[in-house]
Amino acid sequence: MSSAELTLSGVTKRFGGLVAVDDVSFAVPVGRVHGLIGPNGAGKSTAIGLVSGFLRPDSGSIEFGSSDLTRLSPSAIARLGISRTFQQASPLGGLSVFENVLVGMHTHYHAGLASVLVRTPGARREASEIVRSVRELLALFGLEPYAEADARNLTFGQLRFLEIARAIAMRPRILMLDEPAAGLNDVERGQLAALIRRFRDEGVGMLLVDHDVPFVFALCDSMTVMNFGSVIASGDPDTVHRNPAVREAYLGAAAAAEAPQWH
Amino acid sequence: MSPRTRARIEFWVLALMLACVILAPFVGSRLVVYDLTVTALYAMVVVSLNIVLGLAGQVSFAQTTFMAIGGYGSALLTTALGLDPWAALALSALLALAAALVIGVPLLRLRGHYLAMATFALALGTNSFVTAATPLTNGSIGISSVPPLQIGDFAFDDARSFYVLSWVACIGSMGIFALLAHSHIGRAWRALATGQEIAQSLGIDVTAYKVLAFAIGAAIASVAGSLYVEFTSFVGPDLYDIGIVLNVLLMLFIGGRGSHAGPVLGAAILTFAPQFLAGLEQYQNLVFFGFLLLLILTWPSGLFGRVRDSGPIELMLPIWLRRRRSAESP
Repeated sequence: MSSAELTLSGVTKRFGGLVAVDDVSFAVPVGRVHGLIGPNGAGKSTAIGLVSGFLRPDSGSIEFGSSDLTRLSPSAIARLGISRTFQQASPLGGLSVFENVLVGMHTHYHAGLASVLVRTPGARREASEIVRSVRELLALFGLEPYAEADARNLTFGQLRFLEIARAIAMRPRILMLDEPAAGLNDVERGQLAALIRRFRDEGVGMLLVDHDVPFVFALCDSMTVMNFGSVIASGDPDTVHRNPAVREAYLGAAAAAEAPQWH
Repeated sequence: MSPRTRARIEFWVLALMLACVILAPFVGSRLVVYDLTVTALYAMVVVSLNIVLGLAGQVSFAQTTFMAIGGYGSALLTTALGLDPWAALALSALLALAAALVIGVPLLRLRGHYLAMATFALALGTNSFVTAATPLTNGSIGISSVPPLQIGDFAFDDARSFYVLSWVACIGSMGIFALLAHSHIGRAWRALATGQEIAQSLGIDVTAYKVLAFAIGAAIASVAGSLYVEFTSFVGPDLYDIGIVLNVLLMLFIGGRGSHAGPVLGAAILTFAPQFLAGLEQYQNLVFFGFLLLLILTWPSGLFGRVRDSGPIELMLPIWLRRRRSAESP
């Protein structure tokens, strides 16, 4: 299992006449960060939707280890250890910050209905252990002071961190981050980068989708560049960096001639 | 009001209500004891709806259907088959549970208004069915002389003993609600109620959890339905009129969706308020519903509601009449 990776092979998704994702292939190994970049409408979020089961591919295969994800429901995919965040960071409203992260730990509860109703010692022990690890997570994300606040009252940056804390709480093997740096200030961006490195070192594979190209280049071990639904470049960051098609897609032909400022 | 303050107020209201319930048989009239028994049994139905709607966020009108399974189940299994009333009550609850699973799996895939529409049809159909199925249910005449529940030689056949039984059952259902609400199951329900896709992305099988809420609610509503029939020793179609299910919904909305104290408070208000207004004669309903409207306008999420959004109704008010949002930003 340690060599497990998330693999997309020849995945295509159409919406009516529009081909949102066209014959896309890439792999996200556990313990590595794979960047996925591309201009608006390139199909990055659609790719995350396809892997997480909210969308069904028209053709191609998506596999994790020996599991075929295209046949599974979103919740079953999550239970395999594939977690995601949403581009529009949104809290579970009416639940406190603490409870939001507790819900992220849902798959770690094994107590059934009967043991909940009679409060068996095992169920209570399990619940208190989970509460303890949620406290640790909140501390890691700097959300501890707001634990009891309604999650809707968080600032934008805090909400992003809450969303990531909730998604990492299930201890996924693969975490897909849909524009996690969007709208964050420089300090928060630095904290986010440190957290991503930390999770990678703990063995989580990450698919990092973002508009902030330098941010992605600085963090990822390998990457895929999409434009209009297709892969235009892939490989390690240095190879991608030198690829003229990427510079053209991103910066236009004129800027492609200049020395890049990334890294 | 912070969540902690609200929880504290709710606790004391519950304690106060418990004191009233304990004292009422000693100081109250027979009518008060009767009304409080009815309150307990309806509160139980409201608790069952509170699991489905207050926690899991599914608008369902099916509660009278499950009450009817309990009521007719108890009446028929005891009078026609001669079963022990306790066994009849338990069997009916199992039947309601099974019915909820069968109905729930297809219905709970529906989102939003479709579930409400489908269960509304179910509630209408239940009433028509028990009226029309004369050979089984005795139609609109109903079934009387349902034998009382017994423990050894002691029969729950007078107002006082039934008062105790119904409140024990009601408090038991509130206990089940509290245990569920504070468990990962209750949190999963609240999560899918506010963000279905987020819940799915965290590994929560939303259809399974909705069906679970629906089935637990069905069993509790069925027990309340059985007890009500045991209380009056009679069952008839009028007990499952569409008006009843609307009342149950109203009790929950007034008391507060998702809260612990709300169901009892809502049930008590809707049972007792019409009597306080009885002197108003023909204006009784007008004043009563005016009062309800005012209550819903000022407390859109109910007296003890967890939901803190301004209700859509509140948005119809001029700004100076709306509640000020309490700023609780960290």
